Amino acid sequence: MSIKSFLSRDLKRTEKINKLQLPNKFKTIGWTLFIISFVSIFIINIVISDEIIRKQLMITTKYGILLGLLIVSLSKEKIEDEYIKSIRMQSYMFAFIIGVIQSLIFPFIDFGVDSLLNGEANFEPAGDFFILWVLLLCQIMFFNILKWKANE
Amino acid sequence: MNNTLKVERAILNLTQDDLAKLIGVSRQTINSIEKNRYIPSTELALKLSEVFKKPVNDFFSLEKVNKTL
Repeated sequence: MSIKSFLSRDLKRTEKINKLQLPNKFKTIGWTLFIISFVSIFIINIVISDEIIRKQLMITTKYGILLGLLIVSLSKEKIEDEYIKSIRMQSYMFAFIIGVIQSLIFPFIDFGVDSLLNGEANFEPAGDFFILWVLLLCQIMFFNILKWKANE
Repeated sequence: MNNTLKVERAILNLTQDDLAKLIGVSRQTINSIEKNRYIPSTELALKLSEVFKKPVNDFFSLEKVNKTL
């Protein structure tokens, strides 16, 4: 394969990834969905007394939180230039590393805390919601820190 | 990589925001290039060259590495 065709194929692949991103206005939609879902957790816990209904609603709100954060994460900035793309990639990399580390360390912390407080504990891996929530939150946090640092 | 972007910008009496608008990037990008936190792509370097009406080598230079034997 020639270098030229290899480069054009690589460029097309990058363009495909860029197409995955959402327009800037979706950021507001994502944050709104996240805040509503987050607040709903507390309201459901206080208002709903039925255990089965509460469990079902909690699952829905968890999906709302993850979907909201995913929309925020995928939304473009007002000016999405090469520097913003570069810090976005950095933030995904940081979030991935933190996500893997926390999923490895969390069961030990959970086991330790449970043993101290209750006397006995089960060794359980971190839940999928917890891993995804930390991953998305870290990405958004790192991205905004790097963007804020660029203003200094 | 060193650059004299700030000097070139001052010669043309442009703010970071003005220059950013001229080449279609964010102000953060210009600030990061000036602070040597980000090395721009060839495309962006050529756009800057067009604005400053100078070759890229005039405002971007490679850092000299002192090799001690």
